[in-house]
Amino acid sequence: MMADIGELSIRNAGKIYDPEGIHLVALEDVSLEIKASEFCVVVGPSGCGKTTLLNAIAGFDQLTGGEILMDGKLLASPGKKLLPGPDRMVVFQHGALFPWKTVMWNVTCGPLKQGSMNLHTATEKARELLVRVGLHGIEDNFPEGLSGGQKRRVEIIRALMNDPKVLLLDEPFRALDALTKSVVQEHLLELFDFSPKTIFFITHDLEEAIFLADRVAVMTTRPGMIKKIVAVDIPRPRDYRVLTSNRFLELKAELGEAIHEEAKKAFEAGERELA
Amino acid sequence: MMTSQAQPEKNSGKSVGAVRELSLSYRFVRWLKSLWSLNLLLGALSLGTILFIWEFAGPLGIPAIKDVPPPSSVIAAAMDLLVSEQYWTGWGLSFQRIGIGFLIAQMIGIPLGLIMAINRFSFGTIFPVIEILRPIPPVAWIPISIVFWPTREQSVVFIVFLGAFWIVLLNTIGGASQIDRRFKRAALSLGSTPKDLFWKIILPATIPSIVIGMAVGMGISWEMVVASEMIAGDTGLGYLLWQSFQIGAIAHVIVCMISIGIAGYFSSALIRALGGFATPWRRLH
Amino acid sequence: MTAAFSVRMQWLLRNPRIYQGMLGIGCFFLAWYLLVDMFGVWRFREMPKLVVGIKEWLNPDPVFGMSLFTAEYYMHIWASIYRVLIAFLVATLSGITLGIMMGWKRIFFGLTFPILEVLRPIPILAWIPLAIILMPGRELPIIALTFLAAFFVTILNTLLGVQAIDKVYFRAAESLGFSQLQTLWHVIIPGALPYIFVGLQIAMGACWFSLVAAEILSGNAGLGYKVWETYYYVQFPTMVSTMATLGFFGYISSALVRMAGNRLMRWREEMLAGI
Repeated sequence: MMADIGELSIRNAGKIYDPEGIHLVALEDVSLEIKASEFCVVVGPSGCGKTTLLNAIAGFDQLTGGEILMDGKLLASPGKKLLPGPDRMVVFQHGALFPWKTVMWNVTCGPLKQGSMNLHTATEKARELLVRVGLHGIEDNFPEGLSGGQKRRVEIIRALMNDPKVLLLDEPFRALDALTKSVVQEHLLELFDFSPKTIFFITHDLEEAIFLADRVAVMTTRPGMIKKIVAVDIPRPRDYRVLTSNRFLELKAELGEAIHEEAKKAFEAGERELA
Repeated sequence: MMTSQAQPEKNSGKSVGAVRELSLSYRFVRWLKSLWSLNLLLGALSLGTILFIWEFAGPLGIPAIKDVPPPSSVIAAAMDLLVSEQYWTGWGLSFQRIGIGFLIAQMIGIPLGLIMAINRFSFGTIFPVIEILRPIPPVAWIPISIVFWPTREQSVVFIVFLGAFWIVLLNTIGGASQIDRRFKRAALSLGSTPKDLFWKIILPATIPSIVIGMAVGMGISWEMVVASEMIAGDTGLGYLLWQSFQIGAIAHVIVCMISIGIAGYFSSALIRALGGFATPWRRLH
Repeated sequence: MTAAFSVRMQWLLRNPRIYQGMLGIGCFFLAWYLLVDMFGVWRFREMPKLVVGIKEWLNPDPVFGMSLFTAEYYMHIWASIYRVLIAFLVATLSGITLGIMMGWKRIFFGLTFPILEVLRPIPILAWIPLAIILMPGRELPIIALTFLAAFFVTILNTLLGVQAIDKVYFRAAESLGFSQLQTLWHVIIPGALPYIFVGLQIAMGACWFSLVAAEILSGNAGLGYKVWETYYYVQFPTMVSTMATLGFFGYISSALVRMAGNRLMRWREEMLAGI
């Protein structure tokens, strides 16, 4: 049909863990349409199933119901073995930069391994992207010598270097302090403005969601379903001043009630922190 | 087949925290099924193949292994030994030596390790001496041990002690020094005295490392007891093994090997079980 | 260059640890001298004397035939080192290979682990009779025994090392599109290295332990054998120097392994420096 542009279509996705036994329903009838180059954020309380949904798209987990299509082709469905791949590159919550390799190796290994770039091109592009997010001169460091904010940026660059159709981010800024978080968020937005991609971002932080997203989807507590979808019409490029603008506060009020309701339900259900 | 109890609650088509409770009988059946797993089959396959090759190495003409008594004669030798008094006395004596040597190693090693972990001066003075003595293999101490101790029994126990001592000492020091500083600070800010700090924070937090040290030390103790009995003993399982070798009763040798292996395995397992007892907060894992 | 060196020296000299260490070691030798040489308290009377032992060791024309200046000394040293070297190398190569295979492929694990668990509890020395029967000559059984001790330890620690690798690194490798071989080379092996090297140090200690025992029971040369010989022929001063030599080489060999490990795992410097 269309050229590969990274359009994601989630239809009635369901995931039940151990159906014959404890029958844990993680996702129930989740439907979401994500357009190409759209920054879509799913917000929900801990344990609601948003990571499960991300894993299903990435290929780390298989659905037990419904289907996910990418660019019109069937990506995931029950019984279909989906392998993870660089076209749906993931940025992990607690970081997965290989500690025994340098930053440069981490960032360039993807395209080099697939042969999509040669060493020179890859190194140049990597440097360019790193500078763009304010990191230069750290290419030969090992990840453990970097700060949290630096590591997250490097991991995002690593993902981008693979030119994925969909970029999947699993609560990537959760462990950062508030100040670092806002700076790194701005860097992510800059990258997004510079080279738009379809982004699927999950978080429990409503402000982060509205700040980053084109559309915010609220997920209910377990079993997860999409409760509400709101378009964020704040113009890009955005910076931290957006956080105090009227439109932002309006959106926050609109979504806040839905989120809070789910948070309370999750709390009462005694959800243990899944992080 | 499955008898689940509470059905997930349905309100407006959604189930909140929909997890089923499983009945005991169902869980038992599932556990049984999990035993019959691929791992079990593979294990049986490989062990079975090895036993088969071993048994028929003679007729099959496999070079070296055919000189080793096949499983059938090992079993026959086992029958022989299991009724002999020397065998069971051997068990008793070896266990006794292990018990005493191991226990003394813990009684000296754990307090010393704790002191060294807490008191920097003691660590600075004692540790270098430890580092000089430790690399000398305990087996090399056997002659000195024989010379020094009045009885053979004592010299064997000393070697067992030595082997376990280093391990328990290092593990205790390691465990006590790695205690998260936050625990100590929390305790101090809650008003605990140094004595409290030791008995209620440091000691319990070190116990997992001590237990590991004990489990490893137990394994080492068996190596030591066998070594000393073979080299310098006149009773015990190790001695029996060497004796059988000297008189060419190789099948008996193999039985002794297996016996010692079993003994060692169970002692370590026992230590680990007791360790689990002593650290109830870890049993969830 | 010299400025940095003198700064180092100053730091070293001001460090209380050095003096405490000297105090401890000094007390040890003092106690030895007093208990054995000087006063001969209780059973210590029978023990090798410190001063006599040192004198003999440094004697160009030793009373009992072996000292720092005799060829025999170095012959025994070489005999032992030679055996340890071969055994350790073979054990390292085979143990690491097997350990990685076991940690990597479930089927391999299922086939080999039961055999390992059956054989491992058997004390190494208990294998001597079988080793002597199965292997020709004198050297081979001793080397085989030394090998066996190191082998089990290495496999176990390598296996633990592979299993201890955070699963997220495997996921990252999958997302990045690594092949099986690339995952092995870039994730599994470097990831398991810390545990492997701990295992190698233990294995080195195990080598010396079994070597000495094997030499005592069936050798005709080597430091272990010599210790027994000095006991048998009541050559106590030489016994002490032989034991000390054993300790020395045991220590050096472990230290070498540790240093090799530190070089290969340079990324840990930054991590450990943070602590």
